[in-house]
Amino acid sequence: MLELRLVQGSLLKKVLEAVKDLVNDANFDCSATGFSLQAMDSSHVALVALLLRSEGFEHYRCDRNISMGMNLGNMAKMLKCAGNDDIITLKADDGSDVVTFMFESPTQDKIADFEMKLMDIDSEHLGIPEAEYHAIVRMPSSEFARICKDLSSIGDTVVISVTKEGVKFSTRGDIGTANIVCRQNTTVDKPEEATVIEMNEPVSLTFALRYFNSFTKATPLSNTVTLSLSSELPVVVEYKIAEMGYIRFYLAPKIEDDDEDAKP
Amino acid sequence: MSSYQSYIYDLSEVKIIEEIAKGTGTSSLGGRKEKKYDWLRPRVSKLHHLGHRTPPFRFILLTVHIFTAIFFSFFFLQNRMGIKGLTKLLADNAPKSMKEQKFESYFGRKIAIDASMSIYQFLIVVGRTGNEMLTNEAGEVTSHLQGMFSRTIRLLEAGIKPVYVFDGKPPDLKRQELAKRYSKRADATEDLNDALEAGNKEDIEKFSKRTVKVTKQHNDDCKKLLRLMGVPVVEAPSEAEAQCAALCKENKVYAVASEDMDSLTFGASRFLRHLMDPSSKKIPVMEFEVAKVLEELDLTMDQFIDLCILSGCDYCDSIRGIGGLTALKLIRQHGSIEKILENLNKERYQIPDDWPYQEARKLFKEPSVLTNDDQIELKWSPPDEEGLITFLVNENGFNSDRITKAIEKIKAAKNKSSQGRLESFFKPAPNASVPVKRKETTQKAMKEPASKKAKGGAGKKKK
Repeated sequence: MLELRLVQGSLLKKVLEAVKDLVNDANFDCSATGFSLQAMDSSHVALVALLLRSEGFEHYRCDRNISMGMNLGNMAKMLKCAGNDDIITLKADDGSDVVTFMFESPTQDKIADFEMKLMDIDSEHLGIPEAEYHAIVRMPSSEFARICKDLSSIGDTVVISVTKEGVKFSTRGDIGTANIVCRQNTTVDKPEEATVIEMNEPVSLTFALRYFNSFTKATPLSNTVTLSLSSELPVVVEYKIAEMGYIRFYLAPKIEDDDEDAKP
Repeated sequence: MSSYQSYIYDLSEVKIIEEIAKGTGTSSLGGRKEKKYDWLRPRVSKLHHLGHRTPPFRFILLTVHIFTAIFFSFFFLQNRMGIKGLTKLLADNAPKSMKEQKFESYFGRKIAIDASMSIYQFLIVVGRTGNEMLTNEAGEVTSHLQGMFSRTIRLLEAGIKPVYVFDGKPPDLKRQELAKRYSKRADATEDLNDALEAGNKEDIEKFSKRTVKVTKQHNDDCKKLLRLMGVPVVEAPSEAEAQCAALCKENKVYAVASEDMDSLTFGASRFLRHLMDPSSKKIPVMEFEVAKVLEELDLTMDQFIDLCILSGCDYCDSIRGIGGLTALKLIRQHGSIEKILENLNKERYQIPDDWPYQEARKLFKEPSVLTNDDQIELKWSPPDEEGLITFLVNENGFNSDRITKAIEKIKAAKNKSSQGRLESFFKPAPNASVPVKRKETTQKAMKEPASKKAKGGAGKKKK
């Protein structure tokens, strides 16, 4: 038996909007600690990891660990039917092949039940080791979204380099080049507007921009975004979800061609 | 024409291969369509090289695809080359060994491909009208170049790194099979002449497809083309399938892509089907893992090879009346062909007089292949632009604009293949959570072996 009641229903709606373009089908894993998801995009370049801790729910009951395979497009369709102020409750019986979304209006005068079929998804779970990153950049999420959007109108790839000067995003395309440098800036009115750069070692990595543009769909979830970079590791783009958890995107870098004999 | 290695298949096989090659994106002028729209284009000319699909024609193709879908059912029913009925046997008895994957998920992977098989497909389908094919000014067939070029570009664009493996000398055991194919081709040539006299268009096409053979010239052309494209070519000492599997076993490539189930018997750790199918057909790639096959069937590799020989392979006859399922039952019961022969009811089943199953087994287990010691170098390099233009445009009459565009595509694809994969950083971890629906599936799994046992018991009684 599973029953999760989320007062801030809009949060789940935003989560779905953030991941549904990247991943088609995914398993949601429920355990006593929380509601989570890990899934790769079809080309196995990007990975999304979501965690909503049980404490963030008004009511959280999960008798045993279960994983529910859902088509995210269909789930997003159902959640679109919920109002922004609605309370969303997720219910599933043991051994059942459906999940129920219940939407309650804040005044309790309307209750809607949506039932969705579950699917069997054979997905690989990747073990993500804890790592020390060479550089961690925290900046306003809207700023990051703007940079990714602007650069993608010029080129396909972005080089992110962190030096003690700041963080530089650069691209190159048929029509020309673009470079955007963000310096550390902590003298702001609101803490979420700050740009904070922690750097142990300078690092420079190349990524495909289209994935970043998909990640920035999570911007409504958080005012800030954190980029963690290490050479020879995928970048982590993290949006914290207040009092609940996070949504993290991992993206494998582009590798120069000379190490041909790396992997079959 | 030199008879380098010849192929001829019976009608059903031609149909299958036709299905495979049809609309590789390259072969939009596949047989049946061609016939229907003859009046649109009375003659195949070199103008139709590459990207000859005009938008209205593409629309017509949709309907044609529905046509092909009907024939698709044949696909699984007919005998195919390789191991008879193995796909079905695995689907029924080892469902977990096959996995549907998206085409895109193979980017960055190195994939070995049996080139000779591909060339044969191209010769049958690409740019054919009746018995006329795409040719250059000198009248030499260029269908194989067209097909190879477009298909390879499609793979490169998906970020896949293909390695083409060419057949060498056929093993002695295959002579018999080849002789059969040869005589069938001779028959087809006669039929073709009759049809030409009678002027029956359908027959002309049907029989001329059956007379197709891959010559040394075709192979050499394709090798040259691939080298110019910067794609590595491996020349197998004997069977290409075996060489592909060897590359895979040594971890030089990620998987073997073929339509021939032999690859599994040769021990390719990962084997892909439908990788080269056109995206328009929306068929997912089917990935087989030999380790899982063995685990699910509960057989050792040696027993699996015996199972394949019993089911029917290219190298020797099988026992009449023993199909895949019976073979599986017998192998599970007795463990090897020798033991089965000791216990088999000789009156019920006739064992062929000349049955070289031991040689066949040896061929599967120790095929003649190049190994690590032979230092095969797989290197993907930038395309030789000038070389490609000279070869394709000047020598073989391809349209120069289209080739230039295609070269641009290859160069762009090169850039794409530098994208890393997450699996090279993070390793798969066991998933602790239990799926909601697990209950059902375990129940099903419990039921299946039970019913199998029941059947097995009945079989024993009959003896």
